[in-house]
Amino acid sequence: MDILLQLLLSGIALGMIYAVIAFGYQSTFATSGTLNFGQGDALMLGAMAGLSLSGSIMGGPYVNYWLMVPLVLLIGAFQGVVVEFIGVRPAIKTKSEFGWIMSTIALGIIFRNTAENLWGRDDLPFPSPLPTEPLHIFGANVLPMELLVVGGAILMMVLVELFNRRTIYGKAVVATASDRDAAGLMGINTGLVITFSYALSSMSAAFAGVLIAPITLTGASMGAVLGLKAFAVAIIGGLTSGMGVIVGGLLLGIAETTTGFYISTGYKDVPGLVLLLLVLAIKPSGLFGKKAIKKV
Amino acid sequence: MRNLFPKWATPLLMTALVAFSLSAAAADPIKIGLSGPFTGGSSPMGISMRDGVRLAADEINKAGGVLGRPIQLIERDDEAKNERGVQIAQELVNKEKVVADLGFINTGVSLASQRFYQEAKIPVLNNVSTGSAVTKQFLPPEFADNYIFRTSANDTIQSAMIVEEAIVKRKFTKVAILADSTNYGQLGREDLEKALASRGVTAVAVEKFNIKDTDMTSQLLKAKEAGAQIILTYAIGPELAQIANGMAKLGWKVPMVGSWTLSMGNFIDNAGANSEGARMPQTFIQEPNTPKRKAFIDAYLKAYNPANGRIPSPVSAAQGYDSVYLLAAAINQAGSTDGAKIRAALENLNKKVDGVVTSYDHPYTHDNHEAIAPNVPVIGEVKGGHVVYAYDEDKKNPVHIK
Repeated sequence: MDILLQLLLSGIALGMIYAVIAFGYQSTFATSGTLNFGQGDALMLGAMAGLSLSGSIMGGPYVNYWLMVPLVLLIGAFQGVVVEFIGVRPAIKTKSEFGWIMSTIALGIIFRNTAENLWGRDDLPFPSPLPTEPLHIFGANVLPMELLVVGGAILMMVLVELFNRRTIYGKAVVATASDRDAAGLMGINTGLVITFSYALSSMSAAFAGVLIAPITLTGASMGAVLGLKAFAVAIIGGLTSGMGVIVGGLLLGIAETTTGFYISTGYKDVPGLVLLLLVLAIKPSGLFGKKAIKKV
Repeated sequence: MRNLFPKWATPLLMTALVAFSLSAAAADPIKIGLSGPFTGGSSPMGISMRDGVRLAADEINKAGGVLGRPIQLIERDDEAKNERGVQIAQELVNKEKVVADLGFINTGVSLASQRFYQEAKIPVLNNVSTGSAVTKQFLPPEFADNYIFRTSANDTIQSAMIVEEAIVKRKFTKVAILADSTNYGQLGREDLEKALASRGVTAVAVEKFNIKDTDMTSQLLKAKEAGAQIILTYAIGPELAQIANGMAKLGWKVPMVGSWTLSMGNFIDNAGANSEGARMPQTFIQEPNTPKRKAFIDAYLKAYNPANGRIPSPVSAAQGYDSVYLLAAAINQAGSTDGAKIRAALENLNKKVDGVVTSYDHPYTHDNHEAIAPNVPVIGEVKGGHVVYAYDEDKKNPVHIK
């Protein structure tokens, strides 16, 4: 029983990491129908910027962990705006179906190479803001930092939901998401809304980066695997549902830890990917996604 | 056409030209290839090896060079990628025309690239690659002569030492193996299983993980549930750190013993206090317990000033340093830079080479291209962020001769 609980808790922590990153895919898909495939690299930039500010690699620490988070959010938002401006806007303007895929991947690679030159390619330790002694919960062990990841992920999603429902700007985002053309006719600057959604997307990736960095390793290549897993989560949960990414993340995270234990650690990535294939075959819009009717 | 020079001038000019080209030949540098990963996850090993080689080459050049000619290093970064290694090998062989190559950190890169040197009859000294197959790629009768040598302790030696430490010295009976899914990890796991079998032990759990995996819970829980008393590892720094950190998280602390990569800076830094007590085979430990070692460590720290006064990978640096002296001794003995003659000299070195790792007395023969024998390496232990001797008697008798 202890074992199962430990596997579940570790799976939840892992799943919430995926969910936070997957959340970034959603926000841009909702408003513009495009995705930022450089999401993993946005996460890495957030973590590396955080380490430069609150760690000692760039002659710091300049600020403590908690003060560093808002600064990293700003850096993330700026990075998102850059991606949208250079990579996505031209593609949307020319109604290119695939241009944004290549350009967001290309930008991701550029960011990673820049990071390699700035910070080197080695994995670095990220000082943990919380004690590293595990907490005991019903016989299972959890790191305080893992609780912070879960809490941070939920908090971020709640804030975004509140923003969308309670503020006029949020309503503009929702309106653009449900019908871009109609929203444009109602006087909403949909271009600006899309830019904003990219800022939000990279901001959430950067936030995920500084949240998870103390429990994973921090380095220029940290985003590659995480970005890919999060993409699977976004597809499983559905690209249009906030609930979907949480459920998708938890499913994938728990599938990984339990398969690793009960079947074989060599196959731990398989069930999650089988789930992905099943979802794509049976319900392509994701477990919680709304079916999109493409009008041609 | 009008003649520019008087008739008597031509022979004079010719003589001058010949004399000039002769003197140029005398000072012509000896080109030696130096290849390894100077960027990327393996770079702590590659850079330490490179710096060790540079240090030795500088010393030799200051003392007058080899055969009166200076050594010139042709350095190339193979990024730990097989395909880069292959390109570099061709460039060094065909374009730069090196007389020998020092290098290779990664077993995969060695196996992919060595063919070009073998075919061109240019000797290679593998300074770090540990895969058991590295020196056995070109054996007789298929190949008359093997041009591939090694200065590091191979995986057969290392896995035997790991098992001896766990089973014989520390008397554990239940062991778990955790290895990464790369060639390095999986070939090492096979060697470990063989070494365990020779002691009549079967691992209670054999688990694997991928590079960049962030969660080791299931692997560790399986080992724990199987009743493992010790964990044997074959992986590289970052993932080893995740294992050590994962154990701390589960509140399950058993000893870690593994391949020499447990001495990597990126394991010690990323695992912090959790790296304490990890043990691994080492050919060299940054401990000035002989005058030769003291001089080497002082010179390295002075020249490259690494963070915290710690050589990123002391083993790689020492093996790289020694390889230059071995090669220089062979070139001197051969009296030529011809590849076949250098190989023959390496296989029968008359002069004893006093190195940092050990004292090399006839290190190679025609059929044995391993400079390191099972008795040479010692067991190291991570203590306070540094690798130190695990056993005092090794520290007191520092030089183990093959």
